[in-house]
Amino acid sequence: MRRIVVPLLLGVIFLTFQTTLLTPLPIQRIRPDIVLILILYLGLFYPPILGGILALFMGFLTDLFSGNGFGLYTLSRPLIFYVAQFFKGRFYLESFTSQFLFVFIFGLVEGLLILILLSGLNPGPIGNLYPLLFTLLLPQSFFTGLATPILFFLLRKGSFLLFRHHEMGVMEKGDRS
Amino acid sequence: MRIRSFFLFRRYTVPTFIVILLLSTLIVMSLRVKQRKGVDFFDALLMELCAPFQKASTFVIKTVRGVFQEYLFLVHLQKENSMLKQRIAELQKENHQMKEMALANERLQKLLQFREKIYPTVIAAEVIGQDPSSWFKSVTINKGEKDGVRKGMAVISPEGVIGQILKTAPHYSTVLLITDYNSAIDSIIQRNRAKAIVEGKGENRCQLKYLLRTEEVIVGDIVVTSGLSGNFPKGLMVGEVKKVDKKGHGVFQYAELVPSVDLTKLEEVLVITGSSPPLQEGKEKKGKKIPVSPVRRKGGT
Repeated sequence: MRRIVVPLLLGVIFLTFQTTLLTPLPIQRIRPDIVLILILYLGLFYPPILGGILALFMGFLTDLFSGNGFGLYTLSRPLIFYVAQFFKGRFYLESFTSQFLFVFIFGLVEGLLILILLSGLNPGPIGNLYPLLFTLLLPQSFFTGLATPILFFLLRKGSFLLFRHHEMGVMEKGDRS
Repeated sequence: MRIRSFFLFRRYTVPTFIVILLLSTLIVMSLRVKQRKGVDFFDALLMELCAPFQKASTFVIKTVRGVFQEYLFLVHLQKENSMLKQRIAELQKENHQMKEMALANERLQKLLQFREKIYPTVIAAEVIGQDPSSWFKSVTINKGEKDGVRKGMAVISPEGVIGQILKTAPHYSTVLLITDYNSAIDSIIQRNRAKAIVEGKGENRCQLKYLLRTEEVIVGDIVVTSGLSGNFPKGLMVGEVKKVDKKGHGVFQYAELVPSVDLTKLEEVLVITGSSPPLQEGKEKKGKKIPVSPVRRKGGT
């Protein structure tokens, strides 16, 4: 039960932080996407069924509080979760650089996916959004990547304290399905 | 046979679940696009459950910031105080002139037998959260359907237009800001009454669409609402033109404007819930709704 309630509550808290605490930052574009970090963490350490449902729920919540009327994150977040599941155990993710790169690339991939979905679903052209790839997506993914090692460390410590059994090493967990 | 099929089922449980989950997300997307009531209900329910977290967090942030701003950052207070006193004196003088002009305007309107001006009724709301994603521009406010807020209602501040209501829950709503690429407002240039559509461009910028090349627009021109879109009363300030580009061919020219409201620092907003004649002013003040006169600008409507 704790394996469901804790990440669910954590998702709500992370989303709250993202919409309140991180918004007064002087430049909006450096605001890291901490919900994405949580979903990638779940992708690495959670089973596919439970983690998939949690990712779907968090995507739904993100859509709820955003100006996006299509529900794009409801689709992108579970997708990102399963892609992360596919790659878990295939890479060494214990170092700062590898964790940074892992989340940075996933941030870029999700941004591109959102843009593709938007251009497909929108009746009119969305040409004015393409410059945001460089002015917004790149810096945001970079700062999300930078925040990752700290959050991964905190999440690992928290999980260890809560669940009381050793299951956190990516390399150890990687070979389990 | 049964045992064999059971093992086959077990083998494909996870892939089947993934396919079902992703298909269900596509169904949710489709329902959202069609704006079905069921999704709206579920949205409202989740918003009611999660928005109090935002409200509490915003309260804590504001309190902490208040402590710093009100007690710790009091450097140059005396200098600022004298400057503000000077500014008040200037504004009082300006206010007196405005009052005189308003009275003269009223007399002239009566003389010309103009219809009574309709005053919009508004609800004050507090911003409790910003958009979690950087692609879209919206804010969450602490007023919802129970307070009379409905989808599509105009949201303003004393400085100008902010956006319109996108989603509603019983006690909370989401406001789509004018800088969101999905936002479009019918507007006019205050100086020459040229018509255009203000569309969001993200990053605290908007663009003017369908502005005819023949119209003479200059940097610094004020853009106000035309009153044609229905939700926004006429004459509300939208922003100031920052860039005009007549290069290229075509019927229209390109112009970029900066909103009059700093949308990155929103704290309180006003939702226009309807219109009432000025005679009802006394009655309205008893409830939550308060009538305000439309924003008037120099040379505007």
